[in-house]
Amino acid sequence: MKTKKVTSLVALSAITVSLLAGCGSGSAPAADTDAAAAESGATTAAAETGSTEGTTEEGKKEHSDDEIKDFSMFIAMPGSEINDGNEVQEIIAKKTGVRVKETWLTGQTDAEAVGTIIASGEYPDYINGGDAMKQLYDAGALISWDEYLDKYPKLKAYYTDAEWDSFRQDDGKIYWANVFQNTHGESKTTTHNDEAFWVQARVLEWAGYPKIQTLDEYFKLLEDYAKANPTMEDGTSVIPYTMLCEDWRYFCIENAPQFLDGYPNDGSVIVNLDGDKPTVVDYNTTPTAVKYFKKLNEEYNKGIIDNEFGTQTYDEYIAKLSTGAVLGMCDQWWDFAFTVNDVFKQQGLDKLGCDYVPLGLTIEPGMPNQWHAYGDTLNNSSGVAITTSCQDVDAAFQFLEDCLDQEIHDLRFWGVEGVDYEVDENGLYYRTEDERMKATDTEYQASHLCDYSYMPQWGGTSEDGKNAMMPTEQTSEFFANLADPLVKCFEAYNATTYVDMIGSEEVELGPWYPMYSFSNAMTTDTPGGVAWTKMGETKHEWLPKVVMSKDFDSAWSDYMDAYSACKPEDFLSEMQEELDRRAANQ
Amino acid sequence: MNNKKKITWKEVRRQKVLLIWSAIFVVYGIIFYYLPLGGWIMAFQNYKPRTGLLHSQFVGLDKFKFLFSDDTFIKVIRNTFAMGVLNLVFTFVMAILFAILLNEIRLNHTKKIVQTISYLPHFLSWIIVTGILHDAMSSNGIINELLVNLNIIDSPINFFADPKYFWWIVAFANVWKETGWNAIIYLAAITSIDPSLYESAAIDGAGRLARIRYITLPGIRSTIMVLLIMNIGNVLNAGFEVQYLLGNGLVKSVSDTIDIYVLTWGISQNDYSLGTAAGMFKSAVSIALILIANAIAKKTGEERLF
Repeated sequence: MKTKKVTSLVALSAITVSLLAGCGSGSAPAADTDAAAAESGATTAAAETGSTEGTTEEGKKEHSDDEIKDFSMFIAMPGSEINDGNEVQEIIAKKTGVRVKETWLTGQTDAEAVGTIIASGEYPDYINGGDAMKQLYDAGALISWDEYLDKYPKLKAYYTDAEWDSFRQDDGKIYWANVFQNTHGESKTTTHNDEAFWVQARVLEWAGYPKIQTLDEYFKLLEDYAKANPTMEDGTSVIPYTMLCEDWRYFCIENAPQFLDGYPNDGSVIVNLDGDKPTVVDYNTTPTAVKYFKKLNEEYNKGIIDNEFGTQTYDEYIAKLSTGAVLGMCDQWWDFAFTVNDVFKQQGLDKLGCDYVPLGLTIEPGMPNQWHAYGDTLNNSSGVAITTSCQDVDAAFQFLEDCLDQEIHDLRFWGVEGVDYEVDENGLYYRTEDERMKATDTEYQASHLCDYSYMPQWGGTSEDGKNAMMPTEQTSEFFANLADPLVKCFEAYNATTYVDMIGSEEVELGPWYPMYSFSNAMTTDTPGGVAWTKMGETKHEWLPKVVMSKDFDSAWSDYMDAYSACKPEDFLSEMQEELDRRAANQ
Repeated sequence: MNNKKKITWKEVRRQKVLLIWSAIFVVYGIIFYYLPLGGWIMAFQNYKPRTGLLHSQFVGLDKFKFLFSDDTFIKVIRNTFAMGVLNLVFTFVMAILFAILLNEIRLNHTKKIVQTISYLPHFLSWIIVTGILHDAMSSNGIINELLVNLNIIDSPINFFADPKYFWWIVAFANVWKETGWNAIIYLAAITSIDPSLYESAAIDGAGRLARIRYITLPGIRSTIMVLLIMNIGNVLNAGFEVQYLLGNGLVKSVSDTIDIYVLTWGISQNDYSLGTAAGMFKSAVSIALILIANAIAKKTGEERLF
């Protein structure tokens, strides 16, 4: 009798356990997306190949629905999915014969998402794996470009031969191409598409446009303003300063010391040119780093820094900025501006001077700064790739080629002529106020606009020699879009654009720049890579802790103990080797 | 004296159907539980997806050496144990307590309603539970507002920024989510207790507490023991989702569990070998725990698994 009871009990609990397990696996959020991406990748096999697809001569043929191939793409960045049947996407599909379904990172880190895809062995057709490209290459998941590149002139011309060479992996082949920061013709840059300490235009206006050069002056300004204006018009309390520490975006708190010392964004180390040869310097331990974090600690204990900064997610951070209540932060333009500026425009907050203006701070007053990177930065550690799961590699390459076609490029970034932009008698593109408003509306973006933002794209001047490739870089559009408080602010500082505002010096950068393209691609196969991973983990934990500590000095020394236990010297020596290699290639 | 029945062909034929059915389960077990264990060989290799299981280089115990010389791994073991034990103790005690209390409710209607409501959270996925927790415990969430308005604290506490709260938050989340569900099994065990025992005890003058102590508890003792042994084997499964979803850089040193470690090194850093080694260690410890618990139960003459 007794045994019987026990067995039934065991059976019952076994059911309970398996139910539990069932519930558990259901809540792993991003696995589903990956699976979906992989699945849709498999279905593309069905489409038939036509060899003359997407020719780019005048009077090209339109592709009918059953000729259109569907490709899948995974992008290891959070992004917003566009609706099925998106209008511009359909137009592009008709013209090129290819429709790409993009899926984005949700709730995971890029390395985790890519790792999961690798473990499953089924890949989407296109992948942009962020910093995890090397892993994909190691797994043998990518198609080499060498056999294809010559067939696609526009794609081939996207980089110079030397630049293409920099993408070569240790087997001597090219597997991906970065799609950003590539200027066609004359540069039209108006924005400071880089990192800075940002401050709302209204804060500068209130203070009478003072000259802000150092960290101390910057925080003094935020403190004074917050004291005088503790709330917004609608009663929300202002947050003088916040910082993002989540995942890879913790650069917002982490890498300011390199800029404060006047160095450019090498990202993981400073390259010091003072000796007979360039040497790497760890910016985590410089006196400037100590001063910077001490300042943050002081401001945190004064209540100037948002007390949730250490735990907020990217979404929460963007939501916070979008209310207009955050007076300042340190961030990359591309990390916040596109979303936040759209919201400001929609809500009319730009008229109140909530737009952010970059300040070129340094640790001591009067130092030259290199916050702004003039010209293009080639990050060869990341980019778009075609995977071995892709059934029609030719068509996939053809689409990359077509993405660079001026007509498609205009469709992607400007939209449809007469609907999203107008052309004046001189052939210059412009938008009406109504069109500008529409372009910043998220619902309209999802149903109508399709920029394939992680496919190859140009900055700079369009093939007609007049217009900018991107609407944001069209000079007339830029000024027309500028809210009054920004215009006044720029005038007060004798600037015309964001770039003038930050006032960085124009320096010819060495061939090693940017060093982060090497550290980003490190794996734990080398001691340096292990150290780099551990350093990252330690900094993730300790930097916010140091800022929030009641006793800075002891927290800092504890942090330094934990930091040196990661053996940063292993990492630095590999970086030095790479720097020597790159410098020798000059 | 030989009690063992000889297995004859006749007997086999007679039980043909039964044997075929059991064979299916045995094959299933071999394919899905034992064959995958072959992958453990990765832990002794420097496994690369490109070279595969067969052609990766063997490195002996290197991966294990790395593991045990890594401070993070030691911390992760500590965290897993601590959270596992806290979860076990609290969910276990709360479930029994709750089942007994619920059993004492004489209004059948109320009892049903309470039971249903209490086990509903079990069906919520962790992503929702952690979302609710995150909101409730944020600096302008309900918990902080309550504490401030009751003048217990002066300014909101940032619960997720301080390592000292984390384990308790996880234990609380587990109790909230699982108490009602876990209580079902005890309630079932309680119903199987002969009602006449309660009646005769009542006649003998036993009060409610005495009846719980001398009838209910001994009545479900075997259930408690079996579940305890099984749960002890599960201590190292202290969780993945809760810690993964609630954790952040600041509390990393107390929030990361072995499972998260396996994910960061195995999947994110692409070091499958290290991930496998960590997973093997976890399985070995879990088996040891079950054996020990079972042996103790055997010694003390309690109900046991095998």
